[in-house]
Amino acid sequence: MLNRDLLEFYKLNGLQKAFYKILWFITAIPKTTVNLFKKIFYSVKGFILKTFSVFRNIVRIFKEGDIYTRISYFIMGFGQFFRKQPLRGILFLVFQLVFTLYMLLFGVNHIGKLDNLGDVAAVTVINEYGLEVIEYKDNSLQILLYGVLTLFFCLGFIYTWYVNVKQNWVAQNLIAKGSKPKNAVEDIHSLADEQYHKTLLTLPLAGILVFTVIPLLFMVLVAFTNYDYTHLPPSKLFTWVGLDNFKSLLGVQVADGKFAFTFGEILVWTLIWAFFATFTNYFLGILVAMLINKKGIRFKKGFRTLLIFTIAVPQFVSLLLISKMLADDGAINGILFQLGLIKENIKWLTDPILARVTVILVNIWLGIPYTMLIATGILINIPADLYESARIDGASGIKRFTKITMPYMLFVTGPYLLTTFVGNINNFNVIYLLTGGAPKTTDFTGGAGYTDLLITWLYKLTLTDNDYKMAAVIGIMTFVVVAGISLVVYNLSPSVKNEESFQ
Amino acid sequence: MASVVLNGVKKIYKGGFTAVKNFDLEIKDKEFVVFVGPSGCGKSTTLRMIAGLEEISEGKIYIDGKCVNDTEPKDRDIAMVFQNYALYPHMSVYENMAFGLVLRRVNKEEIHRRVLEAAEILGISDLLGRTPRALSGGQRQRVAIGRAIVRVPRVFLMDEPLSNLDAKLRNQMRTEIMLLREKIDTTFVYVTHDQTEAMTLGDRIVIMKDGYIQQVGTPREVFEAPANTFVAGFIGSPPMNFFKAGITGGKEKPYLSICGTEIPVSKKVLENINLPEDKKVLLGIRPEHIYIASGEGISGEIKVSEMMGSELHVHLITEDGTNVVVRVPTLELSEKDKSLLLPHNTVNFSLREQALHFFDTKTGMNINKTSSYQ
Amino acid sequence: MKTMVSSVSKKHKISNLLVYILLIFICVVWLMPFVYLIFQAFRGESRGMVSYILPKEWSLANFKILFNETNFVNWYLNTVIIALFTAFFQTVIVLSVSYTLSRLRFRGRRLLMNMILVLEMFPGFLSMIAVYFILKLIGFTGPGSVPGLILVYIGSSGMGYYVAKGFFDTIPRSLDEAARIDGASRARVFYKIILPMAKPIIIYTVMMAFIAPWGDYMFASLITFGYEEAYNVAVGLFTFLDREHINNYFTVFCAGGLLVALPITVLFMMLQKYYVEGVTGGAVKG
Repeated sequence: MLNRDLLEFYKLNGLQKAFYKILWFITAIPKTTVNLFKKIFYSVKGFILKTFSVFRNIVRIFKEGDIYTRISYFIMGFGQFFRKQPLRGILFLVFQLVFTLYMLLFGVNHIGKLDNLGDVAAVTVINEYGLEVIEYKDNSLQILLYGVLTLFFCLGFIYTWYVNVKQNWVAQNLIAKGSKPKNAVEDIHSLADEQYHKTLLTLPLAGILVFTVIPLLFMVLVAFTNYDYTHLPPSKLFTWVGLDNFKSLLGVQVADGKFAFTFGEILVWTLIWAFFATFTNYFLGILVAMLINKKGIRFKKGFRTLLIFTIAVPQFVSLLLISKMLADDGAINGILFQLGLIKENIKWLTDPILARVTVILVNIWLGIPYTMLIATGILINIPADLYESARIDGASGIKRFTKITMPYMLFVTGPYLLTTFVGNINNFNVIYLLTGGAPKTTDFTGGAGYTDLLITWLYKLTLTDNDYKMAAVIGIMTFVVVAGISLVVYNLSPSVKNEESFQ
Repeated sequence: MASVVLNGVKKIYKGGFTAVKNFDLEIKDKEFVVFVGPSGCGKSTTLRMIAGLEEISEGKIYIDGKCVNDTEPKDRDIAMVFQNYALYPHMSVYENMAFGLVLRRVNKEEIHRRVLEAAEILGISDLLGRTPRALSGGQRQRVAIGRAIVRVPRVFLMDEPLSNLDAKLRNQMRTEIMLLREKIDTTFVYVTHDQTEAMTLGDRIVIMKDGYIQQVGTPREVFEAPANTFVAGFIGSPPMNFFKAGITGGKEKPYLSICGTEIPVSKKVLENINLPEDKKVLLGIRPEHIYIASGEGISGEIKVSEMMGSELHVHLITEDGTNVVVRVPTLELSEKDKSLLLPHNTVNFSLREQALHFFDTKTGMNINKTSSYQ
Repeated sequence: MKTMVSSVSKKHKISNLLVYILLIFICVVWLMPFVYLIFQAFRGESRGMVSYILPKEWSLANFKILFNETNFVNWYLNTVIIALFTAFFQTVIVLSVSYTLSRLRFRGRRLLMNMILVLEMFPGFLSMIAVYFILKLIGFTGPGSVPGLILVYIGSSGMGYYVAKGFFDTIPRSLDEAARIDGASRARVFYKIILPMAKPIIIYTVMMAFIAPWGDYMFASLITFGYEEAYNVAVGLFTFLDREHINNYFTVFCAGGLLVALPITVLFMMLQKYYVEGVTGGAVKG
């Protein structure tokens, strides 16, 4: 913007300024979406280029490698043996042997069955006593599981093989230059120094691999099968169904659109819930923090401690209790009745619309102490001279709040808001323990109710309906929603901030 | 006690930014060398490369003849004092100083002896039991130095150690470092942005700007024979005055055309410089070498007159807009002189011929024949 | 002059009074459920849910039922064991990861942090379904749930490094560098220099890791499915409130809830200083 335009802008009155700000915001959206796609494109391109360079490396190293390096392509660890790194050599060789054995004995078998996840689940045979027994043959679940594990093992092997090749290359060059590659003792010592990150990260990363990455991959694959209560191993098989589950979730080419309808409704409610849950707690928390922090209020620490008390009590106890207190015949209605404020019991958790409001209110009860704490921490750190100079300039209390407090707050807690919003999308406890997703309705499938979030619906489909395939699909869709929102917000905030700087 | 040699050393960061460009220097054993320059000039980066805290992008560094490019800091036998002291907060002063020796498995008695000795030298013997939290800035600095001394390092590195202290303490510590230098006979590499520290402490000074070495020399050399306008303006306070000037007149009776006036100059002075084709030069002269008088010379209007105590710093502006600072000793000023040196008065000043420095108008390089920077 | 001053302070006094009233109202509303809990836990006259607050009879019957007629003691012990192991191992893992990502520089660091960010966008429960099958194969579900749950909690705990990393980021790098010049290996720097300074964040991490298993319903209900003795307190107490049991076990639930809330709350309030530090330091800086 030219300086001239800037000066013109300042001449406008409040309404016109607001108009322009909205205009900027709207025009920023297409710009950021274009930027977003550009970014995605470039990172994909970068990834592809990197993979190509890996292939090129493999060819190049073979061409320029000496005899030891070349043999190491086939016998892992060979080069390391001859370059005085016997420990590394043995480890690589053993790993290669174990992998080869495993693949020959089991692996090929497991991967082979992945194409249709089993042919025969169970047969009835006559055993040696002349009785009919069931003999279990193919178990789709095990096939899929072992298949995925074997695939990962293969990936791990390929990675280790590549590391082996690279190490040979590095060692070869070192010797050519005249220095020595590390021997076993130096290797172990470096694990506490230059390679300390490897030492520290091995166990945690292994945990993440086993408990998050592999299971997620498994579940993503399940989303493309028909694994549900009518296809339960060991007595039944399940098999690949391609995109059928996604189609039924999105209402494409299906006879019964109930799933799609349910999904749409629950998705909308999840987003609305996340929005209100996050921002009501945020602003009210700031309000309460400011009330307690106000000059002239005593017992500041006392009030804060009392509120921290609500965080201290385990959430599930509070939530289960409150859910009963808010029952149609519960304590809350009882008190209101006694006080003469109501004639009939209020259907806090049984009326569809009221239940949704109640859930947000209870979440406020749960969340304010927490956001109050964070807000207090930030409020205390806002430099007092900002307020003092504003008072001298003649700013009223409200003006000081909107021009100093809120911008500072929003700036510092920006990332926190995003994390909380995303966290609320997946906030299982509050909804499930409070309402169980009720009130239920036959309009929805899968036992879903008016207060169900995507994640509680997922839970129900798993535990009560054993509908694993749809649970997997919903999980994936949740990811898509969360990833989409995160990406958009990350990209929107800098450009919106540029306009903010005009304030 | 070791020599340090830097050969073609460069530091290039990811993204292309080159912080240190082609650094060549030979530091002799037991020399006290100061790297000085404005922030961002690369002095700290170079020091950290000597320490091994930054990777060397190009070039080699040798300590005591051995190349240390791939050696870990702990194996280079160096010690370093940081700007923010970096004392271990949960250990006592004694433990802080002993830490490096404990790691090297020096035996307990030897550690004890060395720590006490160092504490004695630095005057912190009665602080050995305290934690850093209970110490003042100056005391913490001493402990940091003590931690480095006990290691008896081959090279002693100091990264702006006095920058976090207040002015008075800084002067005091500066003197103490000079005294320390005499007790500890080792090679020092000291980084600072303060030219006073550089001038007083260094055997040799390395002046840096934007990653390049501008000049290497003794304090006297860089003061009397600055290699370019940057060095000339950086060393000395208040900084050197610069005038655009032209050489006019004949070979026998040359004149300097400066600030709209012509002043005569002896041809001996001009014989000593490599005069450029267009006869235009950048003239430099220090504030203490300018005389204010009424009558002849260049005229200028006084803007501000700063009373510094034993001297006045008079700020003038000439007809063609050049700013000039002159140092005038107050001791022998008459009343008439004092009334002359007030703002808005117009005075004349003349330049001391022997103190003239000539620089090339385009490159800023010193064009004096005897200077080795052509 | 005088009237102006006193009218300003009068305005302040009124606004302060309003604020006090508001704050007291807030405190009453916020603490009411707990008062209700305590009253119901000691109520003697019936065991279902009633719509009045004050008990007509006070008794300890509910606690007796809790200990003698239910599996509560089992659930409690299970949860204690799980919490202790989780507290220890999770702290080790979280501190290792946060320190590495904060201080150590290695190729792939950025990539790792981004990958973890992406992994966290999946709902946690999704991966648990598969983990359940894996654990079932090893026998860590049902009756063997206790080690299973421990593995579930600590398995991916490395992804929760943010708060601790934020803390480590505030320690000046020059401390590490001075130690390395003094001759310490990176491992030594971690143990002898950084960890001793990290007491607040260590306590925070241990605290969070210990408290979490007590309130987990989602994962525990899956892993322990069908085996009542293996429940943790959350799953167990939940059963008291289902349609089958609520008329006889509501007050028993309150008694159990009280016994769970008490030690956790006491622990929390004792360590609240560290909690506040962790939340305001780490959560805010992102």
